Amino acid sequence: MKPVKLLSTALAFVLALGVSGSVLAQAKDWKEIKKPALRPFKMQQPMRVALPNGTVIFLQEDHELPLVNGYIVIRGGSRDEAAEKTGLVDLYGEVWRTGGTKTKTGDELDDFLEARAAKVETGGDADSTTISWNSLKGDFDSTFAVVVDLIRNPEFRDDKLGIAKSQMNTGIARRNDDPMGIASREATRLGYGKDNPYARIAEYDTVSAVTRDDLVAWHKKYVHPNNMIVGIVGDFDARAMEQKLRKALGALPKGPQATTAKIAMSPAKPGVYFVKKDDVTQSNIRMVHAGVRKDDPDYYTLQVMNELFGGGFSARLFTNIRTKKGLAYSVGGGVGSQYDHQGLFTLQMSTKSGSTVAAVDALYEEIDKLQNEPISDVEMRRAKDSILNSFIFQYDSKQKVLNQQLMLEYFGYPKDFLEKYQAAVEGVTAAQVSAAAKKHIRKGDIAVLVVGKDADFDAPLSKYGTVTPIDVTIPDPGASKAPAAPAAGSAEGKALMMKAVEAMGGNAKLAGLKSYRMVSTLNVKGPMGEMALDADETTIFPDRQRQVLKTPMGEMTMVVSGNAGFMSMAGNLRDLPGSQTKGMLDSIRDTPMWLGGRASDPAYTFAITGDAKVGEVDTKILEISGDGIRVKWCIDPKSGDLLRTIKSSPQGEQIVDFSDFRDVSGIRLPFKGALRTANEDTGKFEVKSMELNPQIDESIFVKPAQ
Amino acid sequence: MRKTLMVMALATLLLSTAPAMFAQDIASFEKRIKVETLDNGLTLIVMERPEAPVFSFFIHVDAGSSQELAGQSGLAHMFEHMAFKGTDVIGTTNYAEEKKALEKVESTYRAYELERRKLAGRDDTKVAALEKAWKDSIAEADKFVVKNEFGEIVDREGGVGLNAFTSNDETGYFYSFPANRIEVWAYLESERFLKPVMREFYKERDVVFEERRMRIESNPIGRLVEQFLAAAFTAHPYGRSGVGWPSDLSSYSASDAKLFFDQHYVPSNMVVAVVGDVKAAEVSALVKTYFGRIPKSPKPEPIRTVEPQQNSERTVVIKDPAQPFYIEGYHRPSTFDKDDAVYAVISDLMTSGRTSRLYRSLVRDKKIAAAAAGFSGFPGEKYPNLFAFYAVPTPGHTPAEMQAAIREDIEKLKTADVTADDLNMVKTRAKANLIRGLANNQGLAIQLATAQDRFGDWREVFRQVDAIDKVTAADVRRVANATFVESNRTVGIVESTKMATAPAGGQE
Repeated sequence: MKPVKLLSTALAFVLALGVSGSVLAQAKDWKEIKKPALRPFKMQQPMRVALPNGTVIFLQEDHELPLVNGYIVIRGGSRDEAAEKTGLVDLYGEVWRTGGTKTKTGDELDDFLEARAAKVETGGDADSTTISWNSLKGDFDSTFAVVVDLIRNPEFRDDKLGIAKSQMNTGIARRNDDPMGIASREATRLGYGKDNPYARIAEYDTVSAVTRDDLVAWHKKYVHPNNMIVGIVGDFDARAMEQKLRKALGALPKGPQATTAKIAMSPAKPGVYFVKKDDVTQSNIRMVHAGVRKDDPDYYTLQVMNELFGGGFSARLFTNIRTKKGLAYSVGGGVGSQYDHQGLFTLQMSTKSGSTVAAVDALYEEIDKLQNEPISDVEMRRAKDSILNSFIFQYDSKQKVLNQQLMLEYFGYPKDFLEKYQAAVEGVTAAQVSAAAKKHIRKGDIAVLVVGKDADFDAPLSKYGTVTPIDVTIPDPGASKAPAAPAAGSAEGKALMMKAVEAMGGNAKLAGLKSYRMVSTLNVKGPMGEMALDADETTIFPDRQRQVLKTPMGEMTMVVSGNAGFMSMAGNLRDLPGSQTKGMLDSIRDTPMWLGGRASDPAYTFAITGDAKVGEVDTKILEISGDGIRVKWCIDPKSGDLLRTIKSSPQGEQIVDFSDFRDVSGIRLPFKGALRTANEDTGKFEVKSMELNPQIDESIFVKPAQ
Repeated sequence: MRKTLMVMALATLLLSTAPAMFAQDIASFEKRIKVETLDNGLTLIVMERPEAPVFSFFIHVDAGSSQELAGQSGLAHMFEHMAFKGTDVIGTTNYAEEKKALEKVESTYRAYELERRKLAGRDDTKVAALEKAWKDSIAEADKFVVKNEFGEIVDREGGVGLNAFTSNDETGYFYSFPANRIEVWAYLESERFLKPVMREFYKERDVVFEERRMRIESNPIGRLVEQFLAAAFTAHPYGRSGVGWPSDLSSYSASDAKLFFDQHYVPSNMVVAVVGDVKAAEVSALVKTYFGRIPKSPKPEPIRTVEPQQNSERTVVIKDPAQPFYIEGYHRPSTFDKDDAVYAVISDLMTSGRTSRLYRSLVRDKKIAAAAAGFSGFPGEKYPNLFAFYAVPTPGHTPAEMQAAIREDIEKLKTADVTADDLNMVKTRAKANLIRGLANNQGLAIQLATAQDRFGDWREVFRQVDAIDKVTAADVRRVANATFVESNRTVGIVESTKMATAPAGGQE
């Protein structure tokens, strides 16, 4: 009996085991869960091909989906562009593609590619430009043909440059709408220096300065096979693809090797910086100073430090400032690194206005703790585990491995940079992290930046020392053109001016002109088509003007008086921006009627700067400057008639050609004019009536109560 | 002439091979995907994709901010944050004691809130005392907390991309692990929804309020969109702030969050998708062991309110120092409507790439906008929602110009047939985009789980492309005419009080 009983017990035991094993295993406590070793895994490496002309190609087969993606990285980036043309590489990166090729416009390329759901795009970055493409594999040849055509025969059509500029200007106009954007931008400028090539920003003027010729010249300078690295991944045979590329790119002749001038850091002085932004409820805080290069001996130590300090969900900044204190939704940071130049040490955080200073204190406190308190083994282990256990994600797709190899090749790093990483991280000690924290985070070098509404802060920022305000006002178009000194005045210039003044009615008549009222018709050409407007303009020299325009949308009134200006339309009253007020004031003082009266004013100089043909007439160009005004007149030297005025503007030269001269109270004035801006016809005007020194009710210049 | 014909024939051939390639792929997906429903009602999808020894998952919970009751706006998102706070094992030094302390936090908070919210007869001294009692009890409960232990375990075990989101329609949780952590994963994710503990609720509420300040209050488009949706939806929860109105966000309690969890985080309301280097049978067994512990509970009832038909245009204008912006939206039916694919076609036609109508009209030709788009599913798609158009004016251009230009393009949709070429382009793009979306574990997990939950079948990911393929030019006109009408429209404008004086751009 006994054995039977034993057997049945054993059976029951085995059965029970079986049941729990196959159908419902017991849920375990997580600490008891076994983690089998990861299966041995080495991601397929791309095939590397070097062409005789210097192009390096990486080919990575991936047959999972019927797609092919590729990109070419080309040396030369925005850090290499001229400061006064900041934005050039951004524009190049856009217009290279949208501007089309010699034989196909960008629009035609759009139609061709989109019909295939294929993409070819170009772009510009700090250290490189790129051309990339992707398509279904059956469309590879036709898509890649577009890429090659863009490399060999780009056209950079002007109309697309115009659109790209307009889009960049939109970005400039809006860059202060987003407080986080302000903080990131200004922190970079504090860290590298505001004019440093890694930090400087495009302005209306630097965008305006870029021409099609600049884009053509950039392409000619940089886009050569010896400056290119190509990477392609997808559903293809690497050998066959190699042959295709040899054929398509192998014939490109070598060009000059691209080089980058050494760029020195020029950081702002350490201290507290403040950007006032009153339409927010939250402050954006940054702490910043210079970081390291990826080949720094402390690089791996810093990766561990960053992980435990500001990296993920379990890092100190997140745990202590977000979770414990509830001070922030977004908080993090660390010592940043770049391949061929220093990155930045940055801490970032946003908190409600009322806890701004508490937040800055909290960040300082974390830095102190990191530098002065020993780091526990548990924390070290956690940080290393986090890096090492997730290491597989550095190379878990064929595309990622391709990207890494390409990047290492581009910056001349060893191919096994990534493989060394694991062993190096494992070897980092707590003492090394503490030492690195002291060496690479330097409290005395930190620039603290706060973007926010200071009226609501919990305490003044002056707690940390002198607060330097940063003015983020967007410079108006033309602001940078503190133009070259005007041409020196000359006797010939003065004589030509006198001749023009005589033709207009004489110095005495013009000097006696105090005001006028002019009714005219304007024909304006714009993107929306042509529009005719009736205009009624009353001016008292030198600084009061009222313009009433009848537009299809209703009557619009613009008034400038002294330094203030306003406009009203359909019952809406609004102040004119400063720049627009200034524009109107300038336009009062640069009219021929007013300048004609200044011929004997010592504040003005007159210089002949060249010749120009206006219609059939050979004219002399007279540059008049004084009192902040600068304008060119094209004068017929025989009759003295002023046939054309030329003014510079951010949009380009503004030209007015005059005709139909008539006598008004002894002064000879043009009754017709044709307007051009940057060589494009922008409209014309015709004077209906002109009254000089009329009776004027001065109340028309006063802003009505709202 | 002959050559052109040949090229055209070739092009047709190439295009016609694309769907064939595609069909093959569905078949290959069929082979690699296993779907099952556990006894407790939880749905599991596993896709084997052994590219590298890693996997990603997505847990789709069929509850978003639309499921919140009045006075609780933002609670779904608030709970999502709480799902990172640990369990009765993770995140605590002594749960038995912590539990008592947390109960006290709730009772003191309730007493404080009731006094604070009194409309008449509120005693401010009493409010202050009650607030102090509440804060003291928080400090007491805090003593048992191990900070961020849940996230820390995920980090330490090699998890990447740990995150979650809450939309109007749903809540999703996701990250990726090395393949040998599959059981750790099953443990963590099941515990998280088996025994979540509402610890540090009120600190986290402050964190969420910071999120509101960042996304809505300190962002001009955020400020506009919140008001715009509130105007467009008068009855349906789509009109409520997703992150929460300030008053709600500073009132609701941990008990409210727990109640929301109890009602909506039931297995019948959840789909778990796992994609990567895993074996379906192994995942199935583990999920049964771990997620099988979550008690069965009926799926919550669908919400009742349907947005009533709009019968007059509504306009929201925000006067703001920021640069101008324009948006207009029209009510459309939900994603379950038979015309869903027609809306998808219209959206693609208006928005995708440089051949899109809005780009060509507003950006390229009129040069008045830097970007423009028309899109569907705003702010969600599970319920009737908005088809919206927006444009970002270039300096010197106004919302009124955006409106006129957008309306011109809408009018074209209503009065002229889409050309065969354009329609083909949209259809080809839909197919290619689908294929492109299948290239990574995380993206696949999200797509499969969402389709499975929404339509009861992951294959809907592929069927949507078939539906787009069937759309005709007449469908586009019919739907445009029915949808894009004045009485069905809400307009949102940021009117700039400080217009930029940038160069008008365009010319060189």
